Amino acid sequence: MTAYRSYALALVASTALYAAGSPEQIEFFEKKVRPVLVNKCYACHSAETKPAGGLRVDDRNGLLRGGESGPAVVPGNPAQGTLLKRIQHQDPKRRMPKEGDPVTDAELAALTAWIRDGAAWPDEQVRLDTGRLEAAYQRIRARHWAFQPLTSPQPPALNSSWVWNDVDRFILAKLRERKLQPVRDADRVTLIRRLTFDLTGLPPTPAETDAFVADKRPDAYERLVDRLLQSRHFAERWARHWLDVARYGESTGPSRNIPYPHAWRYRDYVIDAIDRDIPFNRFIEEQIAGDLLPAADAAERDRLLAATGFLAIGPKDVNQRFKERFVMDNVDEQIDTVTRSTLALTVSCARCHDHKFDPVPITDYYALAGIFTSTELAAGLRNKMGGAGLDYYDHKALITLTSTVPPPPADKLARLQSELAIAKKEWDAIRGTPEGLALDSNGRPKQRQYRLRYERLQFEVLSLTDPATRGYAVHGVREGKEIGDTAIRIRGQAERLGPVVPRGFLTAFTVPNAPKINPAQSGRLELAQWITNPQNPLTARVFVNRVWSHLFGKGIVSTVDNFGRNGDRPSHPELLDYLASKFIRDGWSLKRLVRDLVMSHTYRLSADKLAANQEADPENRLLWRHSPRRLEAEEIRDAMLASAGRLELRPPAGSAVSQFKMVEIRDNGLESRSLHEAADRSVYRSIYLPLARGITPRSLEPFDPVSQTLVTGQRDGTTVPTQALYLLNSAFVRRQALALANSLLSDPKRTTEQRIRQAYRLVLNRLPTSREIARAAAFLKTAESAYATKPPKAPVAAAASLPPPQPDDPDDPDNVDRTEYALPEESVQADNARSAAWLDFIQALYASAEFRFIR
Amino acid sequence: MLTPRSVLPSRRTLLRSAGAGFGYLAFSAMLQAANKPLASKQPHFRPRAKRIIFLFMEGAMSSLDTFEYKPELVKNAGKSGPGGGVLTPSKFQFKQYGQSGSWFSELLPNIAKHADELCWIRGLHTDTPAHPQAVVQLHTGSANAALTRPSMGAWLLYGLGTENQDLPGYVTINPPPNFGGAVNYGSAFLPAQYQGTRISDSGFLPNLKPASSARMQRNQLDLIQAMNRDLAASPDAPEPVDGIIESYELAFRMQGKLPELLDISTEPQHVLDAYGVKPGPEGSFARQCLMARRLTEAGVRFVEICQGGWDHHTNLHKGLIERCRQIDQSTSALLTDLAQRGLLDETLVLFGSEFGRLPMAQGPDGRDHNITGYAMFLAGAGVKKGFSYGATDELGVRAVEGRMHTNDLHATLLALMGLDHKQLTYRYAGRDFRLTDVAGEVHDAIFA
Repeated sequence: MTAYRSYALALVASTALYAAGSPEQIEFFEKKVRPVLVNKCYACHSAETKPAGGLRVDDRNGLLRGGESGPAVVPGNPAQGTLLKRIQHQDPKRRMPKEGDPVTDAELAALTAWIRDGAAWPDEQVRLDTGRLEAAYQRIRARHWAFQPLTSPQPPALNSSWVWNDVDRFILAKLRERKLQPVRDADRVTLIRRLTFDLTGLPPTPAETDAFVADKRPDAYERLVDRLLQSRHFAERWARHWLDVARYGESTGPSRNIPYPHAWRYRDYVIDAIDRDIPFNRFIEEQIAGDLLPAADAAERDRLLAATGFLAIGPKDVNQRFKERFVMDNVDEQIDTVTRSTLALTVSCARCHDHKFDPVPITDYYALAGIFTSTELAAGLRNKMGGAGLDYYDHKALITLTSTVPPPPADKLARLQSELAIAKKEWDAIRGTPEGLALDSNGRPKQRQYRLRYERLQFEVLSLTDPATRGYAVHGVREGKEIGDTAIRIRGQAERLGPVVPRGFLTAFTVPNAPKINPAQSGRLELAQWITNPQNPLTARVFVNRVWSHLFGKGIVSTVDNFGRNGDRPSHPELLDYLASKFIRDGWSLKRLVRDLVMSHTYRLSADKLAANQEADPENRLLWRHSPRRLEAEEIRDAMLASAGRLELRPPAGSAVSQFKMVEIRDNGLESRSLHEAADRSVYRSIYLPLARGITPRSLEPFDPVSQTLVTGQRDGTTVPTQALYLLNSAFVRRQALALANSLLSDPKRTTEQRIRQAYRLVLNRLPTSREIARAAAFLKTAESAYATKPPKAPVAAAASLPPPQPDDPDDPDNVDRTEYALPEESVQADNARSAAWLDFIQALYASAEFRFIR
Repeated sequence: MLTPRSVLPSRRTLLRSAGAGFGYLAFSAMLQAANKPLASKQPHFRPRAKRIIFLFMEGAMSSLDTFEYKPELVKNAGKSGPGGGVLTPSKFQFKQYGQSGSWFSELLPNIAKHADELCWIRGLHTDTPAHPQAVVQLHTGSANAALTRPSMGAWLLYGLGTENQDLPGYVTINPPPNFGGAVNYGSAFLPAQYQGTRISDSGFLPNLKPASSARMQRNQLDLIQAMNRDLAASPDAPEPVDGIIESYELAFRMQGKLPELLDISTEPQHVLDAYGVKPGPEGSFARQCLMARRLTEAGVRFVEICQGGWDHHTNLHKGLIERCRQIDQSTSALLTDLAQRGLLDETLVLFGSEFGRLPMAQGPDGRDHNITGYAMFLAGAGVKKGFSYGATDELGVRAVEGRMHTNDLHATLLALMGLDHKQLTYRYAGRDFRLTDVAGEVHDAIFA
């Protein structure tokens, strides 16, 4: 029996590590030392100002850790540490404080004496509020459904020809309990459209529909399912589901939006893993601990390194002032992503206090945190407040791929490096000094030219030395330089340290035979093994439920990302356990699971409503019919391109973001405009569009694209007028409509009726009724004659495309140019009345609600 | 009163009748209750204001050079300030205005004329002295990068709905291109209909321009709606089809109305002159002020306009002259115009930045950030006139009286709009979220 660790802790914690001194020492600090720090240093080095150079002096840990140039104070040793050095610096430009009264000799003596004497700091007594909920936690551990061991229920024995596989037994048993009848089956045209979209995110072609409708073999449907499961498009569609969960994004998001130029390698890794049907347990292990798994060759090593992008491509606040907070915020982001994606638990709530609803004490959180603080996040970034240009980029903080990197030309590199060293020295000397800030004849600070020269040389050196610039790097993680347990942070505040907690896993449930963390490693590998242990009660349930929700519109547990007490309870608990345990027995195979689900009778029902059932179960939780679902943003775009014959089905290499340097992208800058243009021009599947955070492709934006900030298992489905405006007026929609219109008109032998039929088949994937044909023909006739008398507006071409993005060059990164590089709106028009009428008609099909739903 | 289900015709029946010539308007009215997340909603208590216009001075306008007069700062000029640095009073002349005797510097002669209408909050403070986080916190209540929160306009729409169904309820003009960008007007985990509609300072909104003539597009729309009604009448109709039908009509009306509303060129010359409307960046804020007045008049719940470029670490003197010239006349004109049209009785105006600047100099001509004490002003509906609440210390460093954190500001704004910030919650990722997170106190001392 595992001993729960939460209640064993001392309740009072000291926030300064071993810092408390004798009363005399503290008195000396308060009288002689703190006033100097407050009066002479706080303006630039405290939590309420900026920690210039990364240093804060209002916190002992801040002094000990120091800033960019190392520790400011080494207790007991005044000769070390930058604090005294900078106060006494020979060069007045470098001497602290830069402005205001200098530190007096008496003050300097006091600081020196204080450091020599051990740098005592008053001990702050804080109650660490943990363990109070232990009794409640024990009850929840014992009772909450999701924490109970996985069972393997027998499917109900029912004698009914309605039952086609075991899934149906569970569904029909419940329906019978409630005296409800399932509706009729879906017809084949509806079914192939549903299945093709669900499995591949694409519409069936007219030929595929015809073939399926005509296929009289008893296993026609099964053949269809297997064909679709084999298709690479299955992987593209289901990878997108996982990327939603993995909060995939190609930049850091808020504060300073820094691109992740190599994130696409993680995207491609996911597609490839699903295409190969890598077992889900292995898939999770690769993403959490790929760098720690054995690899047979360099290609496999690189694949596993790319997998760890999962932990690296989250949103980050690179403008964070304090390294410690930057680290702990990123650790929190990793904990949240890992636990909610695989376990559907909101473990992050326990960062500041014991979880209020679920049995996750703060000690569990920091047991996990120790695993991630022992891991080096190699996203290629460092934190810095008020940085510019490449300040946030740290090329050493990327994972270099094992493929061989050719060496750079040595002479050229040596020359550039010496120039760079000089430029840096000059820039450091003038930066922020009165001389540097004085304006030159152009009205710009004199220091600017020094910075520009320094940055230009930085770029040049990097282009030779940086494996990333040369395409040999990924964002990922590796083992940290320091491996060890971490301390609880009081109320989640990064600097306020409580007791140290041994690294470990959650105590909400027990996983028998869970591995012990290797003390010489971070513990990620063991964490991954603990998560994917067949006896972990959550992992398989959570994943099976995610898959179910994509095929049936709603999860068996409707809160797919929350299996805690605040989440929903399963509508069919036995079915969930049956599927989860079968999933494990079947080798954690996604394709087999999907196959089982879509082969069921339940999946193949029509979406018809029945008044009696509607009354009893309006939400269709019992699955008496198939719930219609909205197409997601990517499907809408892909289906338009596909129907217009313009979709490029082969995958592209990389992403439009991969050409970017790790320099801030602004919403109105050339970089974001070039991303929008790349997205507008692209005819690849939507999963390959550039997906920098906050710069959502215009063709996805109206249809509730995923937010890219948190684990998201279920898309929103809103109905807003901007969707209607997009469908009525956007260049993208009209361009596809015009392409299809012209292609229908290109064969002069076709009759209007044949063209209408073909349009319906391509766009709505069905044949029109005779009434619909008549209505369309009437519309076309009216429109054509109206356009013949009054021709459509002359088309307006899009502005010429832009040169590749250049790094921005603001004097001050917080004070950027606000000029909008407005995205021109292209007006797409036909060049003759007939094609204009057909354009309007095809566009109406795209705009119809039917196009946006599968039934 | 509850209506028994059977008495009302089902929506399905309605839709069939609609297809058979039943008036669209009647049909639409009957759908309203079921289908309009943006329909006007009951506030928690009697609102003091119905709409907000937020004039956002992005970059942190120096209050000590504009509307915070500190005689002690003048007396102590040249001395070392708290925490280091040289105390440096403003180079601009201050004087008192109106009955209230509020101090303004010579940079804001026009806003100063409204001295007796303004309600100052001078004890503000926030958490992070960096724009990217502070701007996001001012707009969403939290600077947590990993969990983006809904913006305050989104919360307002979620709580109150909108008054004009033909227009977006929340419009942001010329928002910051960085510092969180779209986060500042996003809906985050609230449903997307609550997000702000972003418009450029020349009144541009994507996809608003009809792709074809009104007649041709109406024909096309009729075909779309006929198809939609067929679908709605089928036995396997998806539920949201009714909403989609409605959204097309709204979009069509919006497409007619919004461009007209944003076209300020139709205003009489004396109005354009009063605001100081000009083309180009110099007239940006004036155009925004005028668009804001027009949108507010049409019933838009929350309008934010933005003037950037206040981050004067350097070039404080000339920079302030230039910036203030761009906003002083137009802000004053907006206040006058709103008052003359009787809109100020229902509209709350908020003016200010994400934080303030220090009384100590930075370099030869600059000031650094100050999050420990700064000011904003309110005007119009629900707040006292010619009133000042809270204060910083005598040097203007730290808020010492009427201290208001960003969360308190949000709680107070919601209260003015009739919403209890503790009740306005949305459940997401397993917990209830609020604009004010777990803090926030309503400062009702400023209520009229």
